[in-house]
Amino acid sequence: MLAAAHLWQPFHEFVFMRRALLGGLVLACSTAPLGVFLILRRMSLIGDAVAHGILPGAALGFWFAGLSLPALTVGGLGAGLGMAGLAAWITRRTGLREDASLAAIYPISLACGVLILGIAGKRLDLLHLLFGSALAVDGPTLTGMVWVSALSLIAMAFIYKPLLLDTLDPLFLQTVSRLGPLAHGVFLTLVVLNLVIGFQAIGALMVVGLMMLPAAASRFWSRRLPVLIAIAALLGCLSVWLGLLLSFYYSLPSGPAIVLVAGGLYLLSVVFGPVHGLLRRPPLLTSQ
Amino acid sequence: MIHCQALRWGAPGQPLTPDVDFELAKGSLTAVIGANGSGKSSLLKVIAGLQKPLMGKVILDVPRKGSLSFLPQQQHLDRQFPISLQELVAAGFWGSTQSPETRRQRLKAVLENWCLSGLEQRPLMALSGGELQRALLARLSLADAPLLLLDEPHAALDELGQALLWKHIHAWHAEGRTQLIVCHDLAAVRQHIPQTLLIKSTGCVLGSSVDLIHQQPHTRVA
Repeated sequence: MLAAAHLWQPFHEFVFMRRALLGGLVLACSTAPLGVFLILRRMSLIGDAVAHGILPGAALGFWFAGLSLPALTVGGLGAGLGMAGLAAWITRRTGLREDASLAAIYPISLACGVLILGIAGKRLDLLHLLFGSALAVDGPTLTGMVWVSALSLIAMAFIYKPLLLDTLDPLFLQTVSRLGPLAHGVFLTLVVLNLVIGFQAIGALMVVGLMMLPAAASRFWSRRLPVLIAIAALLGCLSVWLGLLLSFYYSLPSGPAIVLVAGGLYLLSVVFGPVHGLLRRPPLLTSQ
Repeated sequence: MIHCQALRWGAPGQPLTPDVDFELAKGSLTAVIGANGSGKSSLLKVIAGLQKPLMGKVILDVPRKGSLSFLPQQQHLDRQFPISLQELVAAGFWGSTQSPETRRQRLKAVLENWCLSGLEQRPLMALSGGELQRALLARLSLADAPLLLLDEPHAALDELGQALLWKHIHAWHAEGRTQLIVCHDLAAVRQHIPQTLLIKSTGCVLGSSVDLIHQQPHTRVA
């Protein structure tokens, strides 16, 4: 009984733990479908690119307005969308592969961000921007996270069908409907929005981990899309909860703790997952 | 149904043929033949509105969205996609206003017609090439479009599957739908399809299949 109490006691006792948990849980739920679709669309790298892209925008916001939620959000949103849009535009106009185009954009963004922080002269901790601290979620940030999460889930429900067809068979969707590009645009906007709101809580790079790791892990548990999304959300929530507990009891930074739990769940899925996991016989791919 | 005026298509700067004009009547059944790389698939894409022509225009008597079904070659599908055969086929209901009950019955009938009963819950990965091709054809049948553009619909189908496909093509023809079919099996074209559009780098010829294919025995290997 005593051990079980340890699993919820910190959240009962401390407001900052409760806020961190709630924020993390809603974020895990809204990033789950986004991560699953990113993988299906072979755009897994875009999360990384956008997370780095957010940095110069947030740095500019910090330079002009100090550590304020709206300034960081607007700056991050503008820069993140700008970077994602620039990469997509280069791909469309020149035929450079999407992953190459994204890989080219993100060192540029990262360098810009570090440079701006340097010029600004003030010490905004770069590590804090990249890795964050879930324990610093305050009231307004939590409200923002809940709103973004609700908005993403509702928007995803609306674009689910066209997005699914646009991912599986874009030629087919193009012949029956004009919704394909719209669904794609809304989807990308949601990805950026979630990364921006998440970076203030658990850090830009950590939120990418929370988005992609449960999504990648879920692939080993089911062959049905709705189930994949539900499992990703579940694994994400589990990571947030266990990660926060780890960080509380062992005084670890919260962002990396959450992501490492998600990483552990991912590795377990790779080994034990019933769908093409390593222990499955016969394996999907063998080195012949 | 399909009016092509001074149409030129292909990669920018490299048109596949000189400007061509042709008209395909409503309810016509036409084969598209020509050597590899002559531009058969791209012509279908241009007509479907998926690719812009270099010059000229294609006028359809029906709106493009919803009244046209295009069957592309199947290798563009991601076989790992987490979706079942039934969900793939049911996408053919896009934009339809039928009641759920009618849809359920039609879906069942279409799956039966294409010999897919019993495979409803199979994931894409577990389907053979022929089963996937029949699933795509089943999806196309559900859409009820008056204009059908089929790019090598026989690919991956075994003898039974091909017989099934010809049966459907004749049934669609009898219903008055307009069909344009890219096909490499010239003997089958001569036997089943009354009209043929032959694409050559010097221009296009539209004529009766029996005449065109009789005149060009050497293209049999194409």
